[in-house]
Amino acid sequence: MICSSQDASALWAYQGLRARGLHPFELVTAEMLTTTAKWEHTVGVDGANFNVTLADGRIINNRYVSGVVNRLTHVPLQHLAGTPDFEYAQQEYTALFMSWLNTLPSPIFNGVQSQGLSGAWRHPSEWVWLAAQAGLRTPSYSQSSHDEIDETLQLRRIVPDGTPTAMVIALGDHVFGQSLPPQIANACKELARLCQTPLLGIELTLGPPHGLWTFAGATPMPDLRLGGEPLLNELARQLYVNRPRRNS
Amino acid sequence: MILLCGIPTETPIALVREALDDNNTPYVVLNQRKFSTMKMSLEISGGKPSGKLQLNGDSYSVDEFTGVFTRLMDYHHLPELKDEPAGSPQLKFCSNLFETLTRWAEISSARVVNRVAPMGSNFSKPFQAQLIKRYGFEVPETLITNDPQLVRAFRARHGRVIYKSISGVRSIVQTLSDDDMTRIDNIRWCPTQFQAFVEGTNVRVHTVGERVFATAIKTDATDYRYAHRQSGDHAELRPVDLSDDLAEMCVKLSAGLGLAFAGIDLKITPDHEAYCFEVNPSPAFSYYESQTNQPISRAVADYLSGN
Repeated sequence: MICSSQDASALWAYQGLRARGLHPFELVTAEMLTTTAKWEHTVGVDGANFNVTLADGRIINNRYVSGVVNRLTHVPLQHLAGTPDFEYAQQEYTALFMSWLNTLPSPIFNGVQSQGLSGAWRHPSEWVWLAAQAGLRTPSYSQSSHDEIDETLQLRRIVPDGTPTAMVIALGDHVFGQSLPPQIANACKELARLCQTPLLGIELTLGPPHGLWTFAGATPMPDLRLGGEPLLNELARQLYVNRPRRNS
Repeated sequence: MILLCGIPTETPIALVREALDDNNTPYVVLNQRKFSTMKMSLEISGGKPSGKLQLNGDSYSVDEFTGVFTRLMDYHHLPELKDEPAGSPQLKFCSNLFETLTRWAEISSARVVNRVAPMGSNFSKPFQAQLIKRYGFEVPETLITNDPQLVRAFRARHGRVIYKSISGVRSIVQTLSDDDMTRIDNIRWCPTQFQAFVEGTNVRVHTVGERVFATAIKTDATDYRYAHRQSGDHAELRPVDLSDDLAEMCVKLSAGLGLAFAGIDLKITPDHEAYCFEVNPSPAFSYYESQTNQPISRAVADYLSGN
């Protein structure tokens, strides 16, 4: 489990997965990876590998990893704030993280993509476009040069603030967190497949007058607690059943 | 109709424009510096994008644009905005205008050179190197570390070693010298990328759709972009033909990364192995075109026109 030390949802999942007998199962926080860790990341004729020695003495080597829950969104470098070349260091560390995360084997929930350390972060316009392709009902979306919003300061929303929504979590062939009509559940799974994000949070509204489920947003970093124990059961199963088999 | 976005006097834009003129292909230029005279809207209904762009006193439906060539610069650096305070209405308008344009281009069915999302692989060189290897290229032996001891061992193993940025931040590739080794403890502060030096000929390959233009670069410098500074002589560029297999590998690599237009940095060793260092998603091709007369801008214009 790779996550921020502040990610309560990930820490909950870590405890739950451990309780299901996943062993060995290590918790590595983003903070551990940036303060006093010793890095060795290689790319070449032997493929791409990494070996990181943490301050507590643990050594994480991609060759010995057989499954990952990855919840990294950024590289925390508060300890370097104010130093010369801080922005350069931020870019270098982020580029390093993109690369070493890419060496991790499947199953991985979620793998790095060029648009995000734990799956692609997409603009709402792209989510709406993808959701429609996946077969979800989507609201009309619009944006313009004269909008009031300043997207450098505020995230654009697909539905107006205050609209009641429900979050479901698509994981493989399952959807957790809310009972949905089969057609909607299938469309949620299709959206996860289209965006190559095996664990995807999908926000829906159930609107009057006809009680239709409508897409309202998506994230590769859902609050896992919304999926409850059934989500953990399936996550544990996929981590166990799909782990790479080694000969020795 | 083709849409050219950027600063019209920037050479790559000017060259593509010239090629479109030669082909009598209709186009409009979105001059980024005249942002305050523009308006744009984007709607998505039932998964289909539509919208309007008001430009140069005319109004266009975005559906009219079948090709887009974009070299937008970070609007914060536009001379018209350099003194604007953070959060000013001008900055907000500019942000919303170019955000709307970019968002439309990401999902439009037009031929876009290049979309933003696929350009992301270039943010991390070792990440991109892992993708490059999947297409059959060799990549140089690379070590990223903050442990000076590992660098010493890597240098002992490979002899000549270079270092450069891990990220897309432009850096001058340098040979790791004895003098550098006296400061090697500084890497404890931030992991640094080292690579075994590869002997051979630098070749820049521009791919445009399925067309390939290869340029050999002769120089003694470690980084040919800075040949004069590093070796005292300018690099010599000449067109070369790639083998069919290598040309096909280049086309597949660019397509696999989602790039309609790319600048691929290769080194061909004396044993004819092709090492790939990087795929640039926004290549400054005009330098190569001006030195070799290779018709790269014409190929871009053809691609945008659907040819």
